[in-house]
Amino acid sequence: MGEAVGTAELRESFREVLDDIVAAGCVRRHVDEGASRCAPLWTKAAELGWFALLTPESHGGLGLPRAAAAALYEELGRAAAPLPIAAALAATEIVSAFGSQAQQAQWLSRLAGGDAAAFSASGPALDDASLRLANAALFGETGDLLDGVEAALLLAPVRDGENLRWALIDAADLSMQRIALVDRTRSLARARLDGAPASVFSADAHAIARKLRIHMSIALACDSIGGAREVLAFTIAYLKTREQFGKPIGSFQALKHRCAEHLVAIEAASALLGEAVSRWERDDIEAELYALLIKAQACDVYAAVAEDAVQLHGGIGFTWEHMCHVYLKRAKLNQVLFGASAAYHDAAARLLAA
Amino acid sequence: MTAKGKSESRTFAPLAHRDDLDAFRNEVRNWLGAVVPEGWFARSAGAPEADYLAFQRWWLGEMQKVGLATPHWPKDWGGEDLSLRHQVIVSEEMVRAGAPNPDLYVVSLYHLPATLFAHGAPAQRERYLKGVVERGEIWCQGFSEPNAGSDLAALRTRAERRGDVFVVNGQKVWSSFAAHANYCLLLARTDPNAPKKQAGISYFILDMKSPGVTVRRIKQMTGQSEFCELFFDDVEIPGENLIGAENAGWAIAQSTLSAERGLIIFDLAERMHAAFVREIAAVRAAAPAWWADAALRRTFVTHYGELQSLRLLIRRMLSELDENPEMGASALPPLIKIKWSELLRRHTDFWLAVGGLNAQEDAPPLTGGGHITGNRMQDFMSSYAWTIAGGANEIIKTLIAERTLGLPR
Ligand SMILES: Cc1cc2nc3c(=O)[nH]c(=O)nc-3n(C[C@H](O)[C@H](O)[C@H](O)COP(=O)(O)OP(=O)(O)OC[C@H]3O[C@@H](n4cnc5c(N)ncnc54)[C@H](O)[C@@H]3O)c2cc1C
Repeated sequence: MGEAVGTAELRESFREVLDDIVAAGCVRRHVDEGASRCAPLWTKAAELGWFALLTPESHGGLGLPRAAAAALYEELGRAAAPLPIAAALAATEIVSAFGSQAQQAQWLSRLAGGDAAAFSASGPALDDASLRLANAALFGETGDLLDGVEAALLLAPVRDGENLRWALIDAADLSMQRIALVDRTRSLARARLDGAPASVFSADAHAIARKLRIHMSIALACDSIGGAREVLAFTIAYLKTREQFGKPIGSFQALKHRCAEHLVAIEAASALLGEAVSRWERDDIEAELYALLIKAQACDVYAAVAEDAVQLHGGIGFTWEHMCHVYLKRAKLNQVLFGASAAYHDAAARLLAA
Repeated sequence: MTAKGKSESRTFAPLAHRDDLDAFRNEVRNWLGAVVPEGWFARSAGAPEADYLAFQRWWLGEMQKVGLATPHWPKDWGGEDLSLRHQVIVSEEMVRAGAPNPDLYVVSLYHLPATLFAHGAPAQRERYLKGVVERGEIWCQGFSEPNAGSDLAALRTRAERRGDVFVVNGQKVWSSFAAHANYCLLLARTDPNAPKKQAGISYFILDMKSPGVTVRRIKQMTGQSEFCELFFDDVEIPGENLIGAENAGWAIAQSTLSAERGLIIFDLAERMHAAFVREIAAVRAAAPAWWADAALRRTFVTHYGELQSLRLLIRRMLSELDENPEMGASALPPLIKIKWSELLRRHTDFWLAVGGLNAQEDAPPLTGGGHITGNRMQDFMSSYAWTIAGGANEIIKTLIAERTLGLPR
């Protein structure tokens, strides 16, 4: 609906690749084994230039509009794909927009080639930046790094005396400890920095934080809508085939109504998401407000749909073998990544009242 | 985790004080103070299954020593004929002391007596109820099948009478604790030609060691494998293990299920209350960060109020049962099941919201302490056991609408 032709074609191509990855059992194996890197998917994504979607052409990238990334995030969500790409694309944006020539030369082609980036998913509290800068080197610990052990690059707010700045740190210069999550398609990490060389951005720290937050809000909202659509689709398919009392359980009104309500919620959130993406693409002055609103709404809708899907499946939905729990766990994590809905509602309220 | 109590300085005899409720409570409290091992709950985190089983066995044994494993059962069958008021005191004190919940024995302690008291033959009661009291026998429930869940009466596992025995073929699924069970409460079809599908079902006691029984574990979304599939290949059940009359199993199964919908929730709701009490004490001592968030605070208090409603409903049900022990006499069990399970889902979700990202970390499960364990994702996921098992909530709501409210079918 209303998607530009180029983006629609791209979405189709993302979907085809991901369908193959899912059909090959990659996601399932990744979850069962609790592995950290889904190599087949990552290799494919890097090969196909997914990491270069937003990289300027002058740096060897595709220079596509942000809607392309949004379509990718939605498809990744649909597949519950273990691919840490959103933070890499967000970092690409930051380096392109705020980096010096040297920083761009050092990082843009690496990121475009498939190197992942990580930053803290704790939420918008910039003020408790825990890393200290001394003689261009960083000291301290920082946590909640989404998919940190996969990352080649760490992006972190640092204290430089009185000043707050963002810095780029090569992951090779620090030690990262993995923290497994109940959602096995993602993980967190803690990093220790003991004099790691830092490449500091001169731009206003809050401007960078805002850009990152908008990007990750939209990324998680897309992931959530993609996931919610998939969960509803396989739940509906089950309700049509599972029979009890001599008929498909989907014929029972109590279940029909719930499915209808989920569809209403998904379509409503999806409409807002489309608007948020287009404002983001245009750097509209209300892009941030829309990103905040849709992060909360889409993640909550996903959680509600995934939560009910288990119930609608009955005993089979409670098993490890079924995919229900993979989506439920992903939905519950999305709800709290980069702050929970309450924080987004508060931030949106502040923007509206400002 | 070791199943070791503190050194006991004396023997405890709460039942000697049964005529004085205060003295009874006091002695239960003293006993628990002496026997419940310090730190057992934290040690249960991620402990090997063998330790869990040993600990559960040890705990049932300790309860038996003082007559409190099955205190409300009739004396003739190894119980103490204790009133429900005593039972309430025991549960309150157990929860207060943070004592383990004998959840491995849930079918042995609740479903089995609910079935045999009303429908068992004297020899069955003698043999199997005493088996629980004296030998700690573990039972599982073999009702659901792949194609008979909500529509339980559609079950297809077949039991054919051949002389003195019934020969069973078929499959069961989602049977909790079946991998450890000595016996199974089994529903099977004895008359495939009955005019109504409910009319052809019989109720059996199955020895899990019988030749032809295969148990396969099923991994759950929590990562644990507590429920199982059961396969029956020409399994012989002696005729004396039929409970009630042939083809009368459906009505008996309703007694079994009502146990699930009432009494078990009592203990779990008390444990949830204890978790609230601990949290409120923590808030008084030094308010945690989340208490400053008005939305969270209001949710917490709303749930607290709802839990008090639930506890009162349960007490009302208990006093109804005190007057008429036939479970069917109270309309409250299905209401209690809905209230408890829905509150449990929302409250475990509330703790996920409080816990934020930390609560999403993969942490070993804590076992034997009810549903508010502090492992927030585990608690949240386990809450499905209460909205799906023992009749999914959708089915229970239809039952309330039709049986209690009299709405047309
Ligand atoms: C943790 C756990 C432990 C369990 N332990 C045991 C055990 O020890 N022994 C045992 O025998 N079984 C056990 N069960 C099985 C349980 O009783 C069944 O899962 C339950 O009865 C639902 O059946 P089902 O799984 O086949 O789902 P289905 O019957 O297929 O139901 C799927 C969905 O459809 C809904 N539905 C079905 N019919 C209707 C209708 N007419 N109107 C509206 N909605 C409807 C259900 O409510 C559910 O949401 C356990 C289940 C769980 C989750």
